[in-house]
Amino acid sequence: MNDFSIVLANLFRAKLRTSLMLVAIFFAFLIFGVLAGVQNGWDNIGNSGADNRLVTTNKINFTQPLPISYIDRIRAVEGVEKVTYANWFGGFYQEPRNVLVTFAVEPETYLDIYRSDFALTPAAEAAFLADRTAMVAGAKLAEKNGWKVGDKIPLNSNIYTNKATGKRVWDFTLVGLLEPVKEEANPNFVLFHHKYFNESVTFGQNTAGYALLRTVDKSVNAAVAEKIDAMFANSPAETATDTEKAFNKAFASQLGNITLIILLVVGSAFFTILMIVGNTMVMAVRERTREIGVMKTLGFRDARIFRLVLGESLLLALLGGLPALGLAAVMLGMIRQLVALPGLELSPPYLALGLLFMLALGLITGLIPAWKALRLNIVTALGRQ
Amino acid sequence: MRILNQIIAVCTINLKSLPQRFWLSLSTVMAVALVVGVLLAFLAMAAGFQQTLNGTGSANVALLLRDGSQQEVNSTITLEQTRLIAEAPGIVRKPDGSALMSAELYVIVDAVKRASGLKSNIPLRGVGQDAPALRDGFTLVAGRMLQPGSNEIIVGQALTKEFAGFDLGQEPRIGGVTWKVVGVFAMQGSVFESELWADLPVVQGLFRRGSITQTVRLRLTGPEALAGLQGYSDNEPRLKLKAFSEKEYFAGQSSGTVKLIQYAGWPLSIAMAVGALAGALNTMYSSVASRSREIATLRCLGFGGFPAFVGTLVESLALSLIGGLLGTLVVWLLFDGFTTSTLGQGFTQIVFSLSLTPALMVQGVVLALVVGLIGGFFPALRAARLPIVAAYAQG
Amino acid sequence: MGALIDIRRASKRFVKGRETITIFDKLDLVINEGDFVAIMGPSGSGKTTLLNLLGGIDRATEGEISFGAARLDQLTEGQLSGWRAANVGFIFQFYNLMPMLNAARNVELPLLLTRLGKGDRARRVQAALEIVGLGDRAKHFPREMSGGQQQRVAIARAIVADPKMLLCDEPTGDLDRKTADEILSMLQLLNREMGKTIIMVTHDPEAARYASRVLHLDKGRFIEQGAMA
Repeated sequence: MNDFSIVLANLFRAKLRTSLMLVAIFFAFLIFGVLAGVQNGWDNIGNSGADNRLVTTNKINFTQPLPISYIDRIRAVEGVEKVTYANWFGGFYQEPRNVLVTFAVEPETYLDIYRSDFALTPAAEAAFLADRTAMVAGAKLAEKNGWKVGDKIPLNSNIYTNKATGKRVWDFTLVGLLEPVKEEANPNFVLFHHKYFNESVTFGQNTAGYALLRTVDKSVNAAVAEKIDAMFANSPAETATDTEKAFNKAFASQLGNITLIILLVVGSAFFTILMIVGNTMVMAVRERTREIGVMKTLGFRDARIFRLVLGESLLLALLGGLPALGLAAVMLGMIRQLVALPGLELSPPYLALGLLFMLALGLITGLIPAWKALRLNIVTALGRQ
Repeated sequence: MRILNQIIAVCTINLKSLPQRFWLSLSTVMAVALVVGVLLAFLAMAAGFQQTLNGTGSANVALLLRDGSQQEVNSTITLEQTRLIAEAPGIVRKPDGSALMSAELYVIVDAVKRASGLKSNIPLRGVGQDAPALRDGFTLVAGRMLQPGSNEIIVGQALTKEFAGFDLGQEPRIGGVTWKVVGVFAMQGSVFESELWADLPVVQGLFRRGSITQTVRLRLTGPEALAGLQGYSDNEPRLKLKAFSEKEYFAGQSSGTVKLIQYAGWPLSIAMAVGALAGALNTMYSSVASRSREIATLRCLGFGGFPAFVGTLVESLALSLIGGLLGTLVVWLLFDGFTTSTLGQGFTQIVFSLSLTPALMVQGVVLALVVGLIGGFFPALRAARLPIVAAYAQG
Repeated sequence: MGALIDIRRASKRFVKGRETITIFDKLDLVINEGDFVAIMGPSGSGKTTLLNLLGGIDRATEGEISFGAARLDQLTEGQLSGWRAANVGFIFQFYNLMPMLNAARNVELPLLLTRLGKGDRARRVQAALEIVGLGDRAKHFPREMSGGQQQRVAIARAIVADPKMLLCDEPTGDLDRKTADEILSMLQLLNREMGKTIIMVTHDPEAARYASRVLHLDKGRFIEQGAMA
């Protein structure tokens, strides 16, 4: 018999009580795990952007277009390596609820700028560039909608009417599937030719929704952004240029203060178990006063008694918390299939934070009872009825 | 009567002995309070958002969008269509015989949130002089109405609270043009309070929309006139518009976000409730254990098992009820009326206040009582089945 | 006076792990109405188990236990509760008062099981407290009283519903000699003046001297019966 077996025996002497505490701890860490994954996905929204990518939008708001003539002027700015542009199509498939993120893009430059994130097979890319009514879609998106390469796909727009047909259904041929190159990339959208878009829309011709550019190095980002915005200052369409990361983050933050909500919920959950487990541990040790007295009489040192009690609360926290983080990881994997947010996982920093919380929980809840056990006077302990 | 006396006596004993288990009981109360607090915060968010959108709708005001558009932002209506609509039946007419209606243009512009300093989408609405008359509850709370043809704007009260640069007298720059805020309006907390209003032709000019608008609002002679209006539009090939009552339009806009908030709130609260339930069970089992002598003594005196059962259950329910009320109170004090905003379906920020309605409070307290009921039931069974011989236990 | 309690061939066995422990086997005992019986014996001799059987809070493995016309071994749990409320007063070594109730409310507890109204209950409680000499302590809480006083409150609780029989488990085990004598005198008084049948389990030979009959129990058998004092 060693100290660990004493700790185990103490912990499971009141099986019901211990099980209940384990359940409470388990659910608190399950909440932590799942929300930490959500937070990680949230953090990742900004991070998926490359360091040397900038976004230029209309200063009024990114939903306002830029004159297409701006693109060539941006291309001429020193420090700019590549520029592409895209227009929001307002696409949906079959019914308005099935919204598809769809952009009309300049294909060569667009695919080039994002080559490190997602790509087509060379054959598919060639086919896409060759046919102006072709479209490409994220592989998962195509699978979800049951599309196969070669299919004719009628996409609806809630904004644009096709001049040729007078309808807001546009027909495209799916010629390729976008596969992620980087693990966190998520090509969950549809791309088609801006040329086709420009010649078919009934209004908004010769505009770019926004410009996307790659600089020669991230060190020139600020200078390039300043130069572009200065170039169009006081024109009818002033611009705002920012890094892709900052742009994505600002957009995501429009949903609300997700971080604050997560913080409040996780804080509440942890405070709850701190109260429950802390009080129960104090009670459990108080019930054992006489035994602790006996152990001290037998010659157990105070420090060892202290460690035994603290070990018990630590073990409790780990037994409840570790499986919870495991289940959280599994649940996040399942949610990831549904919402296709790539960062939705328990990343190592959050995993470490979870472990840290377990240790903290164990220490905080064990400290008072362990201290009380350490200070226990043998005579009063044995004299107590 | 005798059984009632017994139950009252046992309950009194249990409740009076609560201070002996003060910290443990407090932990249950706090756990339940936090669970209820989290649930109510989410539900109050959903309710506040829904109220803001529902509060916007009037059954007597019709909204016309291009057929197929679900939102103002992707609708277009030409001047010719607007003129045709003015001839439609069922519209309230002004003394001069013209229709009480307002063609409006809705564009998205940037504004900086006071709290985060980040840019967010807000709507700039180009309106005519009749726009206020088409909105029930519109009042100017400061300043005056904007002058037609000028760069003056009036702003919704909720928007000025949430976004910087739109206080009365300030001169924000939008689209290379300097505007002047000349008035602040309130509209019973509806969606319109999250908007900037400017003169329609000025906005059309700045955004190069010519004479195009996106929506036409008009006042119906009564809710039943909506069908006639739709019929009129269907029979006129140049129109092809969809007529909504304002009420149904905004009710449709809220459901997605409200469901999202509720779908996030309930599972989280239930997971937390399971944790709190474990705590409550723990507390009540300890309570029964610490009172086993009293319970057994009462059984010796001839008390039945049922009062012991009820007494324990009542104690558990009392603790969770206190917790539930505490959680409700905290949410009410801290969050009721707390203003925040999110991206609405029109792709712009909607400012809304968390709203803790009585119905939500009832849901919170019910959740607390469910925790108390389950948390007390099994310990109560144990109390009822306690061997009477325990009264002799040394102690 | 006639027999109040009649135990015939009662046995009590426990199963503990793989062992069966016999507390007593085919025990016979008759106690007459108005007796003051002391049951003595070493620890583990079965004294308390016997008392539990007499009080209907434990059941014999086999045998008959009669109380007057009632067969305790044939009553249900609910019937036993009612029977106890009407016929038995318990007095414990550690008093077992409700710490959160004052003396009067502690004494009132058994009356909640009767049909008495509020006024009647208050009068009976006051009378019982007067009998034990605590008429002026009705509002005091157990923690404000000495051990002897607490035991007197427990006696008042035991007699307030006017039961035929008092069962006492080491009633003076936690008290000093002088206080113990006071309590025992009080029990003797209740026996002689109010005709209560008293059965008292005790270790203490001095306490046993107050009884009219002493039973020695050892290994589940009465090894000696005799009357004292």
